[in-house]
Amino acid sequence: MELKVKIDGVDQKAEAQLMKGTLWVHANGRTFTIDTASGRKSRKKAGGGGSSDTISAPMPGKVTKILLTPGSAVKVGQPVLVMEAMKMEYTLKSEIEGTIDSISCAVGDQVVLGKALVKSKPSAEK
Amino acid sequence: MKNVTAKFTRIAIANRGEVAVRIIKACEELGIETVLLHSEADINSRAYRMATKTICIGPAATAESYLNIQANINGALAGGAQAVHPGFGFLSENADFAEAVTKAGLIFIGPSADSIRSLGDKVHCKELAKKAGLPLVPGYQGEHQDVPHLIEQAEKIGYPVIVKAAAGGGGRGMKLITNSADARELIESAQREAQSAFGSPKVFLEKYLDRAKHIEFQIFGDSSGQVIHFFDRECSVQRRHQKIIEEATSPSLTDDLRRRMGEAACAIATIGKYKGAGTVEFLLQDGEFYLLEVNTRLQVEHPVTEEVLGVDLVKMQILTAQGDFLHDPKQVRVPRGHSIECRIYAENPYMGGVPSTGLLGHVHWPEGPGRRYEYGFDEGDTITPFYDPMIAKVIVWDENRPRAIQKMIRVLKDSVVFGVHTNIPYLIEILSHKEFVMGTMTTRFIETYFADALKEPELTDLEKKIADGALLQLRGGQMSSTGSAEFMTVSPWTSYWRGI
Repeated sequence: MELKVKIDGVDQKAEAQLMKGTLWVHANGRTFTIDTASGRKSRKKAGGGGSSDTISAPMPGKVTKILLTPGSAVKVGQPVLVMEAMKMEYTLKSEIEGTIDSISCAVGDQVVLGKALVKSKPSAEK
Repeated sequence: MKNVTAKFTRIAIANRGEVAVRIIKACEELGIETVLLHSEADINSRAYRMATKTICIGPAATAESYLNIQANINGALAGGAQAVHPGFGFLSENADFAEAVTKAGLIFIGPSADSIRSLGDKVHCKELAKKAGLPLVPGYQGEHQDVPHLIEQAEKIGYPVIVKAAAGGGGRGMKLITNSADARELIESAQREAQSAFGSPKVFLEKYLDRAKHIEFQIFGDSSGQVIHFFDRECSVQRRHQKIIEEATSPSLTDDLRRRMGEAACAIATIGKYKGAGTVEFLLQDGEFYLLEVNTRLQVEHPVTEEVLGVDLVKMQILTAQGDFLHDPKQVRVPRGHSIECRIYAENPYMGGVPSTGLLGHVHWPEGPGRRYEYGFDEGDTITPFYDPMIAKVIVWDENRPRAIQKMIRVLKDSVVFGVHTNIPYLIEILSHKEFVMGTMTTRFIETYFADALKEPELTDLEKKIADGALLQLRGGQMSSTGSAEFMTVSPWTSYWRGI
């Protein structure tokens, strides 16, 4: 949407949109993106939100390997699933620490962009 | 004036993306309905929404849909069309397709299958040109394909020599030989690539012109077979043999060169009995021009010609196919002002141009005088990984070249595409480059000055503050305003592939 942000008393024109945790901004002739998930991470210290508990397909492609089963413990950055698209392999990793709650795909499945593949339960806040 | 009554009541479009939209618009203006022949993957696109009728002809893979001759013909017949427009790319230069369309009782909007065969085949076209006495890049186009013989020919031409697949295109099966030591290996490699990519190991040799400009002439054969040209375009800004920025007319031609090249273009097209829109491509180096190839179809960059001449090439194509378009001898066509086209690719300029796919967010093409946008997707559509990454074309017109460049930079800066990354920052850099501004760029411009990925500029404090404020408004002010939210600014690529 088109909006105005008042900075030092001056209205700055911008266009902005939040898409899947990424903030897209166009201002002063330039488009840039900001990862609000990392913004959320930084706010977590102040007691807010958390990283995504869902691993979604970052592109359309085929699920070639599932590395964990529901109930498995998972750490941040641990590989959970392998996908293939345009003849290249991509490993999808967990963003949180916890246990795998459900897996909603099978090896060989052709999945669409953004499909939720794995849901995890975060471990209790310490 | 002749009253334009459309004989066609419905035209099938064997293409996708922005060119499909372009054809639909021309049909609408002529009062003709359209049938879009699309793949399963292209349901979320402007052409799909705009067409009178849509018929799915196969899955996403091009071999099973857009390149499947029978599927396209079945679709056109089922859709009740009388003619087929092939657009560009896919089956547009496929003589077998043109023939199959005709055999099915439909009209192919383009040249005849025979014209495509004689002019579209690079080797055959060169033989025709040679007979007509047109200048060719020195080379060897013979049938004798033994490697030692080819090496001998390469020596005779003099290095650097480029070896190309006879049936090829798009840079595949193409190798540059700079000295005799590498000749054997490179020729054999080109033959292998040609065999696997095009099913024929046949190659030909050409002297490599290392400071040439790419100049092409828009030609048009009317219903009676009279061919005239609609002046020239320059497309020297190319990356891996793919054009990025095109303009009309070329800043490099003298009146004399323009006249001689235009005559040569019409001569080869006339020999090939050309009907409809086509393009004769030349290389120009040190004031000498050489015929490169003939593209027997509408060209991606046709809008710059339309802008400087005030014509509509797609409507002309349709009228010609109906048999009721003749060049008016009283009409004097003189190019006016200058037009530039930039191809917008869904790719990340900060990552060396890796494709960027996904859901398209907010899109804004800023309107204004002398601006034209050709695009195939709106907000909410998905840019899939199956096809060419070109998602739009931005075309500007102004009174002269410097003003057109200035306008294009402004327009690109004000254009907004969210959801996928685009080459817009890259285009702005190119348009601002001294050599482009002077108009002296050659086909090696990109490899010389833009070989590396662009460096992504850091966000300024102002940009960070705008982002903070924008996020606050988007979230409806729910975010606590105490303390500044510290956004870690990451490369868009990292952000997109987060979690992989």
